[in-house]
Amino acid sequence: MTKLTQNNLDTLKACRYCPMCRQSCPSEFISYRESDAPRGRAILLHGVYQGGKEFEASTIDSIYNCFLCGACKSWCLGHDLGGYDIPELIKFARKDIASKGLAPQAVKDVRTSLLANDNTRNMDRKLSYTATVTEKKADILYLLGEGVNYAHFDIAEAFVQILENCKINYTLLKDEPTSGKELELLGYEEDAKKKAKIMADRIESTGCKTIVVSDPLVYDVLKNEYPAWGIELKTEILHVSEYLLGLINSGKLKLKQTKEKITLADSEFLGRYNDVYEAPREVIKTSAGKQFAEMQWNREYLQSAGEAAITFDDGIFAKGTVLGQKISTKAEDIHADVIVTLSAAAKRNISATTNIKVMDIAEFVKMNS
Amino acid sequence: MELKQNSYMFDMILFELQDIVGKNYVSTRVSDKEVYSIDYFWIPEMWHDRQKDRDIIRPSADFIVHPANAEEVSKVLKIANNYKIPVTTWGGGSGSQGGALPVFGGIILDTKRMDKIFKIDEIAMTVQVGTGIIHQTLEWELEQKGLSTMHDPASARCATVGGFIAHRGTGVLSTKYGKIEDMVVNMEIVLPTGEIINTLPVPKTACGPDLNQIFVGSEGTLGIVTKVTLTIHRLPEARKFRAFIFKDLATGLRVGQRLIAENLQPSVIRLYSENETKEVIKKVLGIEKTGAYLVYGFDGKEEMVDLLMKYARAIADEEEGEDLGTELGAEWWKNRYKFFFPPYMFRLPQCFGTLDTVATFTNIENVYNAMKEVVETKYPMARFIGHFSHWFPWGCMLYARFIIETPPEDPHEAIYLHNSIWNDALRAAIKAGGVLNEHHGIGLKLSRLTPEMYGNAFQIIKNLKNALDPNSIMNPGKLGLGL
Repeated sequence: MTKLTQNNLDTLKACRYCPMCRQSCPSEFISYRESDAPRGRAILLHGVYQGGKEFEASTIDSIYNCFLCGACKSWCLGHDLGGYDIPELIKFARKDIASKGLAPQAVKDVRTSLLANDNTRNMDRKLSYTATVTEKKADILYLLGEGVNYAHFDIAEAFVQILENCKINYTLLKDEPTSGKELELLGYEEDAKKKAKIMADRIESTGCKTIVVSDPLVYDVLKNEYPAWGIELKTEILHVSEYLLGLINSGKLKLKQTKEKITLADSEFLGRYNDVYEAPREVIKTSAGKQFAEMQWNREYLQSAGEAAITFDDGIFAKGTVLGQKISTKAEDIHADVIVTLSAAAKRNISATTNIKVMDIAEFVKMNS
Repeated sequence: MELKQNSYMFDMILFELQDIVGKNYVSTRVSDKEVYSIDYFWIPEMWHDRQKDRDIIRPSADFIVHPANAEEVSKVLKIANNYKIPVTTWGGGSGSQGGALPVFGGIILDTKRMDKIFKIDEIAMTVQVGTGIIHQTLEWELEQKGLSTMHDPASARCATVGGFIAHRGTGVLSTKYGKIEDMVVNMEIVLPTGEIINTLPVPKTACGPDLNQIFVGSEGTLGIVTKVTLTIHRLPEARKFRAFIFKDLATGLRVGQRLIAENLQPSVIRLYSENETKEVIKKVLGIEKTGAYLVYGFDGKEEMVDLLMKYARAIADEEEGEDLGTELGAEWWKNRYKFFFPPYMFRLPQCFGTLDTVATFTNIENVYNAMKEVVETKYPMARFIGHFSHWFPWGCMLYARFIIETPPEDPHEAIYLHNSIWNDALRAAIKAGGVLNEHHGIGLKLSRLTPEMYGNAFQIIKNLKNALDPNSIMNPGKLGLGL
């Protein structure tokens, strides 16, 4: 059996009987099942790691229903002192489950697809945005991530247009490979490392000095897992929002004033895992000024858009739109005209649930420049 | 009816339940049965903690159902009556008394799908909600409009409104705004035999016994409350606090009683015994003082709050309190929930319990001393702490606790010790003028002591139970009502 870290053990012991973060958990809020709440998951994992039980199918399902959004950490008043970390515990358990070959079939299918096709859903690589790009050596490398590369071309086009208009020397990776993050999230760390090595080599071949990413998952893995895996990228890594702020601050990009009321759906992987909250706000405020309005839940108390909800029970989660509904309801409460999102997952899940305009930050900036 | 999972009868009943609530909302999953077998009661937690390599099990449900409304609840209860299957209602599962545990198996009826806010009425100052709503969710929505129920317990983040109603819950602001039973205007209830009833539209009438108060506190034994209308209030213009250290508990109690008797209507009085001041206040607030810590607070228009604070300060000064100022009072308010999170909260391997009780001002100090004495004398391995948190015109409640750092490793011995302390401490409390519980309820934990406390009056509760629940399916084993 994989050895628990001390932090994992502390988390198990603290969280297994404590229900105090329940109201923050999006998966339990949607399924209503106690086994989908942090307490429930900790009870089940305590049974396995301290109670001598074997992993069982519905326990495994519960572990893979976690969105890894970190809301439980944000809301835990004991976290600062105790360091309890349910997402890390879940990832630990997933690694263990995966190593034993016990992952649900849906998870195994995603792994197979990532290994064979560098995407989670067996999509034809020839249909991706980057299938036909011309790759070259450049200072700026723009990485799209799966959601943009295979579905939201609009986001890529908006950002590329901004780069063109600002006369930036940039490149994309032809047939952009997976970063390994999804494999890591699902518990396949060794597979993730192999994919990471391929990505790192591709990045290096561009000679870039700065990587700009659309996908918060890609941002997170480049910033955090790659160094932990011994992969040193000698480049600056920025989310699109951070890069755009740099362009604005340097005078290369000017935004016109908007009269619309703009709000922002924070990203769990940019925000909770990487503390990126202010850059997107500053970008938006350059155009919106006092027309920028916060939703009730923002920054570390953001509502999850399901960025890491790679596999879950569609019968209950309705393809992520249930999460989107929770966010769009809050935007409607403040009468926002536009919801700015920071990931393709957020744009997809929120826009399906509201008549409010939903656009990625790159699209917002392009529209107002 | 004994249900074996490999019997076709299991599938027949499962199908009937799925037909009512939908396949996605009935579970027989191993993981769900495991998690729904533990609430916030120390005994199932301890049992779970020690299960490795031991032949011990926790009772678990056969089915967990999530109905969406009263009509579905009604149909589920009719099936349960048909087959004589026990039904245990589960809101947040955060009760400390074992009230939501499926001790005789059967159906767990999880209310959390009934979580809608139906109407916020800013003229009548009421809100109507499904009882499965997590209370904090309700409060966040009300806060957007500058409103609140003013029901503010630590468990707001994990408990349902229905759970509070089931056990007569209370919150930090109860001294001014009342306990949950004071906030109930009317309810929709599904009776054990499946009828759906509504209580009268307003609570203060001269129309016979108050049906609300029959069901509030009935802990799922007399029916399931599916909707409730609660009173709401505007968020106050000002809420201010001040903290003091008094030389001893007796002085602190006197101050609290005077604040009430002078009709100043504080929203909060929280008084900690000397032991708890030393242990808990130091741990959570970092205040290291000898004596009894007391914080009081007032809500309302700022001018009025300032005046009331002035009168309260005068009482505290007369009793020679050491003034810790408004900041340390506000610090307590800001951290009022922190006490309930690990690592601040007591937890296994410790054995602990909250021996809450309530008595008149005349008796409460004797109740405290009687409980303290029996715990410390008979159980030298235990320590006893207490604070006084909910105050009434006639008395106040004691939130006492016992803590044992290293209880017996053997789970059977651990239960024996745990139950013995409860029995001795609460019998001492009752003898001194207290009762079994003030706001956590009876549940499984105190079920055995309930008939003894009530004496002949318990027959009224039994008769009510027999009349409403002829097949005895509703939450058996709780509230002293057995099977």
